Amino acid sequence: MATRAETVYAGLVPEDTIARFDVHQIIQHIGLMVSFVLLVITGIPLKFHDWAISQAWIGMWGGIEVTRSIHYFGAWLMVGVGFYHLYYLWYSTAILKKPFPIKMIPSLSDFIKLFQELGYYVGLRKEMPRYDRFNWKEKFDYWALFWGVPVMAVSGFILMFPVFATRFLPGWVVPTALVAHSDEAMLALTWIVMVHIFFNHFTPGVFPMNTSIFTGRVPRERYRRDHPLEYDRLMGIPEVVDDEADNEGIDEKNDEGADETGQGNN
Amino acid sequence: MKWLLLCLIGGFVAAGSIFVLNSARVYALDENNCLVCHGNPEMTKINGDGKKISLYVNSEAVNTASHRFINCTTCHPSYTVIPHRVDTPLTKLSLAEKCGSCHQYEYKLHRESIHGQQLANGNLDVATCVDCHSPTGNPHSVIRVLEYNAPTYKKNIAQTCAGCHNDASLMANYGIVEKVYESYMRSFHGKAMKLGTYEITQLDKATCTNCHGVHDIKSANDPNSPVAGLDNLAKTCEQCHAGAGIEFARGFLGHREASPDNIPVAHYTEILFRLLLTSVLSFGAVVVIMAIYRFSADRWRV
Repeated sequence: MATRAETVYAGLVPEDTIARFDVHQIIQHIGLMVSFVLLVITGIPLKFHDWAISQAWIGMWGGIEVTRSIHYFGAWLMVGVGFYHLYYLWYSTAILKKPFPIKMIPSLSDFIKLFQELGYYVGLRKEMPRYDRFNWKEKFDYWALFWGVPVMAVSGFILMFPVFATRFLPGWVVPTALVAHSDEAMLALTWIVMVHIFFNHFTPGVFPMNTSIFTGRVPRERYRRDHPLEYDRLMGIPEVVDDEADNEGIDEKNDEGADETGQGNN
Repeated sequence: MKWLLLCLIGGFVAAGSIFVLNSARVYALDENNCLVCHGNPEMTKINGDGKKISLYVNSEAVNTASHRFINCTTCHPSYTVIPHRVDTPLTKLSLAEKCGSCHQYEYKLHRESIHGQQLANGNLDVATCVDCHSPTGNPHSVIRVLEYNAPTYKKNIAQTCAGCHNDASLMANYGIVEKVYESYMRSFHGKAMKLGTYEITQLDKATCTNCHGVHDIKSANDPNSPVAGLDNLAKTCEQCHAGAGIEFARGFLGHREASPDNIPVAHYTEILFRLLLTSVLSFGAVVVIMAIYRFSADRWRV
């Protein structure tokens, strides 16, 4: 039986890679990454304003007016990417009638696999849990943005236009927005640097850099290793029932809709 | 080749001469040659109480001071004949009056300010002219307001005020318990000031004097103070934040940290985010450390 990877891409791409992200997802990730970096390099010196390096850094960019403008630019870019993603989600499900990207929704199996993974790290299990299209870290990153971007956007908007905001909202929103903006930024930055960068770039097999989010393609062997359930389905290999993990994330649409489910997620 | 060498040497000489000639020093106007004696650091006298006091005037400081073209006798008029009269020197209490003989408008404002009122009562703690206008507190080294090293330059004002207002024990005498300097530096205004450059364009950033007043500074408890009450505060905010209203002013933490009594929502939001931050990041750190352990162990075995 010809699988998606074999029929769609036969002869067009090197055979040893498998498509994982479509062009919109690649653009969204680049937009998010660029805006995130811009926001961090212009925002962190405000948090650590009394460090000499912050002052030198701001001076290097030509003063706080310049870094403020860069921060505003990064902010609108990130908000734009957010709306782009929502539009993309709506368009691909409502207009293109692709199945809703149900595999991104957290389920009980994510918690089970989290503990299985930790068990593997400490030597209680011989193998990593068998992941579907998204592992729990990828889901966490994705949903963290659904919480983080609105928090940062709303609080940042209040801080950007405090006079306008207090025309409709009580005065306490301004200091509250500052607290939320600052702490949520530290949370996002630390998580991205510590967990996201580590697991996506510094783990064995992908070090020093995982380029799949930029090329959209993953080497076949790595796909088989990191997302075995998804890989088997793409290759038409009958599903191996995992005795411990609850595979409720795999829905019955798989047979006829494998080519869409591969595209409809971020 | 010879020409090139000559040009090179000539260039060095020219550059060197420009450098040397440009470093010509500025000298204070000293028509009565007061500095001949008073420029000597050793010059002292024994005053009426038997205490040895210095009569030295630092000519370096005078040469760069804003009053360098004003004769010594403008402020020390009784010393016009030599050997001159030995007079009681200017004191903190009499200084403002002396400065005010020229700077009348500022003197009038200062006399009505909280500092001036206290000074009139003989309180020596309070700020008078030189405490803010001279980096050393010495009347001879008063620097013009818009010079970058002046204590009254916009970027330096907070530090100047902090000289007294960041002294908790001194401020406790006047019931000022708020850590005004620290809270200002933590605020957006303070951060913008701290991270800003020394350029003159930085003048639009708010510091102590923008809200509290300059020579006419008033106690925050004085109903006429620009920061007393939400109405006055909102008007003060509006000087920079066009259209700011009462609600905008209400968002000001008042030089205090958010607490259950002071903008409780901000306080509880902070606690909430601290909890979130600690729990999520500890979880992430644990996972990463465990993963590093496993990957390193695998690597070690192979």
